[in-house]
Order: sequence, then structure tokens, then C-alpha cells
Amino acid sequence: MRRMRRVALTLLLVGMTGGCATVQPWDRDLLAEKKMRFVPHPAVQAIDEHIYFSKEGSTGGQEVGGGGCGCN
Amino acid sequence: MQLNPPTRSSSLRSKLSTAVCILLASAAPAVTPAVARADPPATQLDASLLIYGEHTRAKVVEPTVRVSRLFADGQTVSAQIGIDVITGATPSGGLPSGVSTTGPPGGDGVVSVTAASGGGGTGPSPADLPVTRFNDTRVALDADWQKPLGVLTPVVSGHFSRERDYQSIGGSGKLSLEMLHKLTTVTGGAGFNDDNVFPSGGTRAPLSDSTIIVGHDWNPKHVRGGLVGVSQILSRRWMIAVNGSRSLETGYLTEPYKVVSQMDPGSGLVVGQITERRPARRERSDILTSSVYHFLRDVLYLSHRYYWDDWGVRSNTFDLKYRHELQDSVYVQPHLRYYAQSPADFFRFGLVQGDPLPAFVSSDERLGPLRTATVGAMLGFTLPGTPGEWSVRAEYIRQFGKGHPDYVTGVQRDFNLFPPVNIGSLVVAYSLAF
Repeated sequence: MRRMRRVALTLLLVGMTGGCATVQPWDRDLLAEKKMRFVPHPAVQAIDEHIYFSKEGSTGGQEVGGGGCGCN
Repeated sequence: MQLNPPTRSSSLRSKLSTAVCILLASAAPAVTPAVARADPPATQLDASLLIYGEHTRAKVVEPTVRVSRLFADGQTVSAQIGIDVITGATPSGGLPSGVSTTGPPGGDGVVSVTAASGGGGTGPSPADLPVTRFNDTRVALDADWQKPLGVLTPVVSGHFSRERDYQSIGGSGKLSLEMLHKLTTVTGGAGFNDDNVFPSGGTRAPLSDSTIIVGHDWNPKHVRGGLVGVSQILSRRWMIAVNGSRSLETGYLTEPYKVVSQMDPGSGLVVGQITERRPARRERSDILTSSVYHFLRDVLYLSHRYYWDDWGVRSNTFDLKYRHELQDSVYVQPHLRYYAQSPADFFRFGLVQGDPLPAFVSSDERLGPLRTATVGAMLGFTLPGTPGEWSVRAEYIRQFGKGHPDYVTGVQRDFNLFPPVNIGSLVVAYSLAF
């Protein structure tokens, strides 16, 4: 667990460091595409979360709260 | 005659240039849904249909419709309805009986066992896990609102769902802050669910033989959670994000129909069964790291989630999707997912008769030493001459685990107590902006 936290912290720091390298507004054409969202298909993502919530012992990640279900 | 511009002027030009860049950067659209809201269509319709089937177990059909209204100021209001129709069978939690009334062990004999639901369960052979047949319909309503306010974007959501023996009411709020020329987005949020469980036939006494009903009232289950996250643009093609969330569940967390078998200490044959019992509190935490990378045309999505809770479950989830553009508006997106969890501290496939009863016990395989592997692909396309976007996704899911624990006795040692489950799912989705 400590290792995972360390990895996450490292990624976070790398991310923040990356912020020093400015991506100019006119260079954000690719980033602005719908497919560049972390969740480009929210409806399908919601279906997946429902499936795995009902079939596995873990949950969480993208959203907070969300729909309860008697399936698990 | 001095022809070269003075150093001071050069410095000033540089500062002005920097200032202009910063102003332009500040005015640039954010690389989130905020970008897509530039010149938005007025209404968005999203519809999907899930067809899901587990081999010899549960089947689900789930249509969902979502309507979103986008306003000129960037405000968005959405409403969604989804209906799950569920039929089939689920493991009762019991061990294989180990005996047959119609044939030798390992044959095709059918053994009936008593299931917690009172409806009875059957295992097709002495080595098979007993299952309970069931059917249910779940209706879920969701609504959310969001509005960009400069660098801030608040999102408020509400949820209601109802099924035969479960009701959920919940809400959540999130606030995103764009920083550092909109290269960094920090998000914080909190949510709650006030759910109720009302088992068919009443609430059974925990660790009992299923015949003792302690009441017919609703059993409350509360969930409170929070989330913080940072997303970062690393380059023209690459974004990453780290999210951490934590939630606390309290109340009735027991699975009302699951049982735990008691086996004979010598032969291993099932001699009885009791209802399961779980702690009334569960604290969950997870860290999700995500990356999206844009190649020349294709996009690679990677994520990893590490999860842990105070029931002893630890899990790692690896997810990979690769969107390959075939031609304009047509793409194929393969998907791989792998999930591995450690069992909960109180998970047992079964108990040995005569041993003292533990304070908590469950043989629900979802709290066991579970693995899930997923392979699938999505095809996205538009139909010539018609509006909207279509996507069709098919996936194969296989769940398996370590099914030979050293604490079972007799004939149970010969059985795989965690037989693999094969699952197929098909999702058809349609999206239309008008």
C-alpha cells in the first residue's frame, strides 16, 4: 500500500512538474477533441461500473457517491 | 549611428510577448468538457442498451436514456432513466453437497438444497455450487446540473433507484478549479447515499439457520464519501490524472440471502448452513491514475486503480483501451482489463461443524480471492445520411479464483470451490445532438 501511495504521489508530482512546460492555446487542438477526455463514453462507463460493482468487492475511482444498488 | 535596438526595448518586447501569451492562454478553452461546450447544440440525447449474460447464471437487459440540455452560458442540465431486468441464478454461498440422489459423485445427479430466499436452490451435480433462482426489476433515475463560473465548475447530482428489496437515494457535489493557464484542473467532491434493504420474507437473524426472522422493517445503509483529484496536461498529446477517494459505509451491509455451509469435519459433506454476517461498518479507499495519449490519429487510454478497505480487501485494476481510427467517424477500440483482489478477512468457503462460530463470516465469492479478466472491442460509426453516432461493444469477461483452500475437509478438497464464470456483454449506444 505504501508503495502504491508513493507511485501515486510520484505521478502527481510529475504531473505538477509537467505544468511548467506550457502548452500554448493554439497547440491544444488535439486535447480539445472529445476522444481526449478521460471518459469519452460516460454512458458505457456507467454500465461498466455497474457491472463490476455487482461482480467484484471493490468500487470507486472516477466518481463520488453515485447510484446505490442492492446487487452488492 | 546606432542601428541595433537597445537591450531595454528587447526586454520590454519579451515581457509584452509573454503577457500576450498568458492572456491568450487564460482565454483559451479548457481541455475538458468545457471545450466541447463552445458553440454547443441545444439538446443531447444518449441512449444505450445492455444485454448481459453469465453462463448458467444471471441475465440482465438494461435500457438507459439520457437527455441533456445545454444552455448558452455553458450550463448543462441532464436527466437519465435506466431499467434493469434481471433473471437467472446466483450462488447461494453454500458448498457443493458432495452427494447425489440420482447418480454417483461427479455424475449428473441433481441435488436440492435449501436456499436463504426460501425458494430453494439446486446444484446440477454433487460437485457444483448450489444456486438460488431469482428475478428482479430495478428502476434508476439520475439528474445532474453543472455550470462553469470562470475557472470554477460546480456539478451537483441526484440519484434515486428502487428494486424489490432495495431502495437508494443519493446526492453528490463536485467543484473543479482550472489553474496554471488551464493546464491543471483540481477537483474536490463529496457524496452520500441513504439506502434501505428490506429482504423478501423479512430480515433473517445473522448466523442462524435462515428460519429466524428478526423483523420486516427496512434496514438502513448509509454511505458517505469524498474525492480529490488533479488532472494535468503534459504536452499537446498527453494528459494524466490522479484521483483519490474515500467512503464510509455504515448500517446493514450483510447480503440478506447468502448462506455459509457447515461441513462434516471428517467426510466434508454438508450437514447444515447458516446465514452470513458482515461488519456494520466498511471504510473504502482508492487511488486511480489515468493517462490519455493522442498519437497521430489514434488514442491510448491507460488506467490503474489501487483499492483497499478495512475488511481486508485489496485490489489492483489495470485497464487499457486503444482507439484506432479506421476512417472518418469510424473507429475500433479494443479493451483489456484485469482485476485481482485479496479476500476479506472473514471470507470462508465454508465452516467446519463443531468449530466455534466466528463473529463475522461470508462465503460471497465477491469477497473471495477473485480475479476478473475482460477482453472486448467497441466499434464506433455513423450511418450515411442519418444523424447521430452509434457504438456497439462486445466483451467477454471471465471470473475465476483460488478454489482449493486448505481449511475444507473430506470431499470438499476434491472440488474447485471457485469455478470460473464466463460472462458475455453487448452494449449498443446511440448519441444525437440537435
